[in-house]
Amino acid sequence: MNVQRKPRALGPIELEVIHGTIRAAELEIEAAVERTARSPMIRDQHDYRVALFDAKGRKLTGRSYSAIVEPVFEYFGADDIHPGDVFFWNDPYNSCGGIGHVPDLCTTLPIFHGERLIGFSQVFGHHDDIGGSVPGSLPVHATDSWMEGVLIPPIKLYDRGRLNQAAFRIITRNSRLEDHLAGDLDAEIGAATLGSRRIVALAERYGVETLEAAFEQILANTAEIFRREILPNIVDGVYSYEDYIEADGVEPDKLHALRVTMTKTPEKILLDFTGTDPEAKGPINWALDEVEGRYFRKWLAPVLRSLAASPERAAEIDSNEGVLEVIDVKFPDKGTLITPRYGKPTGMRFFLMLRSLGVFAACLSKATGGRMPADHETIRIWGLTGGQTREEFFLFREVLGGGGPGRPWADGSDVVHIVPNSRNLPAEFSETRYPILVEQLALKRDSGGAGFRRGGFGYDKRIRALVECRLISNADRSILGCYGVNGGLAGGSYGISVIDVDGTETVHPGMSDTVTVRPGERVRVVTSGGGGWGDPLLREPARVVYDLQCGLITETAAREIYGVDVRLEGRHWRHDPAATADRRARMATSRGRPPMFDRGSAHAALKARGMVRFPEGWADPDAGWDAVDHMAAE
Amino acid sequence: MGLTVAIDTGGTFTDVVAIDHRTGQSTALKVPSTPRDPSQSLIEGVGRALAESGHAAGDLRMLLHGSTVATNAVLEHRFDGLGLIVTRGFRHMIEIARQSVPDGYGNSFFWVKPPRLVPLHLVHEVPGRILADGSELEPIDPEATLQAVAELVEDGVRCIAVCLLHAYANDSHEAAIGRLIAERYPDLFVSLSSVVLPEYREYERAMTTLIDVLVKPYCKTYLGEAAARLSEGPNELPFLIMQSNGGVVTHATAGEKPVTMLLSGPAAGIQGAIHMAQLAGHDDILTFDVGGTSTDVAIIEDRTPAFTSEAMVEHYPVKTPMLDIVTIGAGGGSIAWTDSYGSLKVGPQSAGADPGPICYGRGGTEPTVTDAAMVLGRLPDALIGGALQLDRKAAQAAFGRLAGSHAMSPEEIAAGVLEIAAANQVFGIRRVTTARGRDPGAYAMVAFGGAGGLFGTDVADFLGMRTVISPPDPGNLCALGLHVSDVRRDYITTMVRLQSQAEAEEIAAAWEGLAERGRADILAEGIAPDRIAINRIADMRYFGEGHEVQVPIPEGLSGAEALAHAWKAFHGVHDRSFGFHYEGRQEVEMVNLRVQAVGRQARPPLAPADSGRPPAAPFGTRPVYWRGTGWTDCPLYHRNEFAPGQSVAGPCIVEEYGSTVVVPAGWDCAADAHRNLILTRTAEEVQS
Repeated sequence: MNVQRKPRALGPIELEVIHGTIRAAELEIEAAVERTARSPMIRDQHDYRVALFDAKGRKLTGRSYSAIVEPVFEYFGADDIHPGDVFFWNDPYNSCGGIGHVPDLCTTLPIFHGERLIGFSQVFGHHDDIGGSVPGSLPVHATDSWMEGVLIPPIKLYDRGRLNQAAFRIITRNSRLEDHLAGDLDAEIGAATLGSRRIVALAERYGVETLEAAFEQILANTAEIFRREILPNIVDGVYSYEDYIEADGVEPDKLHALRVTMTKTPEKILLDFTGTDPEAKGPINWALDEVEGRYFRKWLAPVLRSLAASPERAAEIDSNEGVLEVIDVKFPDKGTLITPRYGKPTGMRFFLMLRSLGVFAACLSKATGGRMPADHETIRIWGLTGGQTREEFFLFREVLGGGGPGRPWADGSDVVHIVPNSRNLPAEFSETRYPILVEQLALKRDSGGAGFRRGGFGYDKRIRALVECRLISNADRSILGCYGVNGGLAGGSYGISVIDVDGTETVHPGMSDTVTVRPGERVRVVTSGGGGWGDPLLREPARVVYDLQCGLITETAAREIYGVDVRLEGRHWRHDPAATADRRARMATSRGRPPMFDRGSAHAALKARGMVRFPEGWADPDAGWDAVDHMAAE
Repeated sequence: MGLTVAIDTGGTFTDVVAIDHRTGQSTALKVPSTPRDPSQSLIEGVGRALAESGHAAGDLRMLLHGSTVATNAVLEHRFDGLGLIVTRGFRHMIEIARQSVPDGYGNSFFWVKPPRLVPLHLVHEVPGRILADGSELEPIDPEATLQAVAELVEDGVRCIAVCLLHAYANDSHEAAIGRLIAERYPDLFVSLSSVVLPEYREYERAMTTLIDVLVKPYCKTYLGEAAARLSEGPNELPFLIMQSNGGVVTHATAGEKPVTMLLSGPAAGIQGAIHMAQLAGHDDILTFDVGGTSTDVAIIEDRTPAFTSEAMVEHYPVKTPMLDIVTIGAGGGSIAWTDSYGSLKVGPQSAGADPGPICYGRGGTEPTVTDAAMVLGRLPDALIGGALQLDRKAAQAAFGRLAGSHAMSPEEIAAGVLEIAAANQVFGIRRVTTARGRDPGAYAMVAFGGAGGLFGTDVADFLGMRTVISPPDPGNLCALGLHVSDVRRDYITTMVRLQSQAEAEEIAAAWEGLAERGRADILAEGIAPDRIAINRIADMRYFGEGHEVQVPIPEGLSGAEALAHAWKAFHGVHDRSFGFHYEGRQEVEMVNLRVQAVGRQARPPLAPADSGRPPAAPFGTRPVYWRGTGWTDCPLYHRNEFAPGQSVAGPCIVEEYGSTVVVPAGWDCAADAHRNLILTRTAEEVQS
C-alpha cells in the first residue's frame, strides 16, 4: 500500500470506511463521556447525547438523537467560528429548539482541516445541579424559567483555545455541586475533541471533497432506508391520537393533552400538532417551534424503526439528518405545550418527549393494523436530598425505568429506560454513599399491561431513610397507565408514597418536592408497567402459568384477565387445558371484539368526570378503532 | 527426562506444543478436540506429544492446559439446574439487572431481554442482613435457609449460587449458609459470592457467582478426571490450568473457582506475544491475534498486560480480573458482500473454519477476506507445506461477481475489501488504545494467529504504528504462551474510604492480609518462596466518579508505605487515562484493594535461529496487487531461510509452513536471532 496517498474519489470502499469511522467515533465519544463524567445522571443514567455534524450542521451520527448546531450559526455566524472555539449553552428559549431544560448543558466544537471548517462535534449532558430553587434543578412548582436554574444563551466558553474564566466561574458558582459540574464539562469537552480527531483523520486520508461527498451519501442512504423498508409498511391516510400529562405541579386537577394528526403519503409523513392544549403554568412545557422543527423531527423519527423487518434490523438503522427527508412537523400557533411563550418553565419537558413518541406510535398502530409496540413511558426521576451543611449535603437520585411495551414479537422488557445503557444504582453503592437502606428491590406484580404479549413490569422499590430527607419525585403517569395496543391492556401507573414507622402509607403526587421523610420512614416507589399488545385471551397458557409461578402476576389476573383455569398443586401452579378453553370462549363472547387501544380504568373514570374534553373539530381518537386479529387473518 | 507439554483446547482442534528442557527442541502437533469429554483429547495430546518427541511417560515433567470448556458452557446456554439464594427483598435482582438497554436511544421499544441465567422461580430469598460497614442488622435463620435449599433441590437444582447483600464486607452469613448446604447436601455444587468476587455491586457479583457455579460441573469434573488419569504413577504430575488473568494455577484451584477459566483462550497467546516481543527488544506492544472469525487485541505496557473487571461473556457480566482483551468480530473468514442498497460490506458474517474461504476448496461459496488476499497475490498456491492447495481461480471468479455490481475491477474490489477489513479492526483497536488515553503509535504490533501477517501493516498504517513483529509459528503462539506463563492468583477486597477520613492502619492491615493469603496460596501451589512476587494495586477514583482507575504499587512497598504511594500516584494515573487530574482540588476515594500473587516459572529454553546461515535469497517472484500502484512483481522468501540480522525491503512476501507475512512498499522486514520478523515503516508520511 502506498503511504503517500492522493485524494481518492468517493467509491464504495471510501464510503464504507468513512461511514464505519463515524459510527465507531460516536461510540468512542460516548465511552469517553461515560468514563470521565462526574454526575451520576450522566455517568450511570447515561443522560447525555453525542453527535458529529458536517459543516452545514447536518447530523451524521445515527445511534441517538442529539442537540443541534444551529445556535452556532444563528448567534455567531460563519465568520466567527474558529479552531479552538467551544460553544456552550443551555437556554431552552435560545437554542433553536435543541435544548429542552436547563440542566442540559450543551458543548459544541467546530472541526477544522487546516483553515477549512469541515464539521462539528457535540456533547450535551444532564448535569446534577445548575442552580434554581430546588436541588437537582427540576423544581416541580416552577412558574418560569428563571426559577429553574442559571440560563446560558449561546456563548463561547473557549475562544480560540482560551477559557472564558469569568463565564466558567459564574456558571460553576451557580451549581450546588460545583466540582461535579466542572468535572463534567472537562469530560464533555475532552470527549468531543476526541471525536473531532476522527473526522480530521478521514479528511487527511481521503481528502475533504471525498469526505464531504461521503457525508451526502450517508444522509441520502438513511432517507432511502426509511423510504424502502419502513414507509411501505404504513397505509397512506390521515390518523389522529392524543395523550395527556396529568399534572403540571402547579394547577391541580387538569389534564394537558398533546394532540397529533398524522398524514401519511407514499413519500412522507406529516405530523400536525394542531389542537394541542395551551401552555401550562407549571414546568411541563417544551419549546420546540424553531428552525422548521429540525430537532423535533430527528427526535420523533426513530419511533419508525419498530416497523423494520426484525428487532435486529431496527437496531441497525441510523437516524441521522437524512430522516428529515421523510418526516415533517407542523406546529400549532404560539402558546401551546410545545410552542410556549418565552420564559414558560420546561424542567419536566421529558413527559412531553415520551408522550410525543406515544401519540406518534399510536397513529402508526392505526395505520399498520396494530403492529406497533404499545406505550412505553420511562423518564421519571425520584430521589432523596438532605444534609444540614454544604459538607453534609447529599443528593441521591435515580432515574428508574418502567415496563417496556408489549410487541408482536415479544413481551415488554421489565424496568427498562428509553435512554440506552442507563443503569440503576446498586444497593451496595447507594448504602455506602448515602444515609439510606434499600429494603426491597422488586418488580411490581401485575403492573405489566396484560396481552398476547404483555407489557414489562415496573419497579416496586422500598428505601428506608436513616436521616431526615426531602423527597423528590418528578414523575408523570401517576394516574393514567401506558396504553395497550390491539387488544392489549394498559399498564399499571407510577406511585410514590411514604410509609411511617407505624406502617401507615401516605401516597404523594407524582410531582412532589416538598415532602419531608423522617428517619426510619420508608419511601415506596412503584414505576409504570408497559402497555400490553394483543388479546390476553390468546396468550399461551404456559406463559401465564410461568408468570404466576414466578409471582409476577396474581392468580386473579391469570383467571380473570387471561382466562386460564389455574390451580395450585403443592408449590406448583398447573392449568387445565379444557377448562381454560371453555373459560376463554365464554369470556370472549361476553366481552366482544377488543378495542385497538386500552387506556385503563383511571382514564375511563376521568372521562366519566368530564375531565377529558376535546377541542372544536376534534373527535375522540379512540372511537371506532378495534383490534385486528392477526392470527385469524393469517 | 524433562518434557513439558502445553495443550490448548479449542472448539475444533487441540494444539499441542512440547518442549524438551535439555535441548530446547520443541514439537508442535494438533489433535481433534472432543467437546463431549474434553479429558479425552487432552490425554491423547499428551500421548502423541510423548511419542513424537521420543519420550516415555516418565519423562513428563509438567502439563500446562488452556481450554474453552468453561466459555462454551456459557455460550451454549447450558443453564439447567441453576439456583440462586439472595437476601430478603432482592429476589428480582437478576430480572432487574442494571435496567440497561444496549445500543441506540429508544431501542427499548423493540429490544428483547436476553435469556436469564436463572429463572425467577428458582431464586429464593433468605432472612439475614449485613450493612455496608459489615455490621449485622439481622442474623440468618438456618431453618428458613435449609427450607429454601430443599425447595430448590426438589425443583431440580444441582448448582447453587449464594449472593447476599454486602457479603464482600462481611462473609459470615454466606460462609454459614455454605456450611449448612455442604452438611445437608454434599453433592450440590455451591459458589459463594464472597469467595468468587468479594467486590461491591450486587448484580455483577451475583452474575459472576452464578457463572462460576454454572461451569463448575464441567470444569471440576473433567479436570479431576484428567488429573487422575495422568497421575497413575507414584508422583503427582504438576497440572496447571490457564486462567483469564494470564496466569496458571493447579487444576485443583481452577476447579474450585472455574470462573477464572472463562475467556482464557486468548490469554495464553498474549503471554506468548509478550515473550517473543521481549526477545525482539520491545516491551510496549499491541497484540493482534487474527483468527478465522474474530480478532483479539490487547495493549501491553512494560511487558505487563492491562486488566479489566468489566468483561462480558455474551450478555453476562463476569467481574473476575481478566486480561483486558477486546474481541473484534472480524477475521480472515469475514465475508464480503453488497447490501440491498449497493453498499460494500465486510462481515460480520464469517465463513469460519467450516466451510471456510472459497480458495480452501471445502465448499465455501462466499468471498472472504482471505479470498481477497488470494486474488491480490498475497497468498501462495498452497499452505501447510502443500497439505492445503489454494484455489486462486475460484476466488477470482467470486470477486469478479462481486465487482460486477460496483463497476470496478475484481482486484480493486479485493484491495478495497482488505482496506475495509483493516478499518473494522482499527475501530476495535481504538477501544483498547485511544479510548483508554493511549496513542497506538507508541506501541509495536505483534501480529499473529493464522491471518495476522496478512493485515498487520495495513492496520498499522491506519493507526500510525511503525513496527510490526511477526513471531515464528504465529498460529501456535497460544500453546507457546502456556509454556511462558507464571502461576498467578488475584485477590480483592472492597474498602470504600475517602482519603480525608481513611485510617491508614485499617487499610494497610486489610491489604497485607490479602498479600499474606496470596503468598500462602502460591506456596501451596508448589512454588519456592524466592520465586514469589506480590503486586499490590489500588482501585481509586475522585469522589463522585463512577469508574475506578487501577494504581499499581511498585514492588517492595507494602502496608502504610504502599497506601501512601497510592494516594500520591493516583493523580498521575488518572491524568494518563483521562487526560486530566484534580490534585489538591478534589477528594480521592479508595474503592478496592487488590493483590496479584505471582509464582515465577522457569522459562523453557527455545532453540535460537542458526546464526551461521547465509542470507536468504528470493525463491521466486509473484505478481501482487497494491491499491494505487497496481500489479507489481514481488520477491518471495521462505521465513526459515532468513539469517539473523538480515533485512529486506518491501514490497515482498514471506512464506512459512502455516502462514504468510505481507511486506508492502515503505516497510522493511528484518529477522532477529529468535526467528521473529520485525517489520519497520521506512516511509516518512504517517497516516493516522
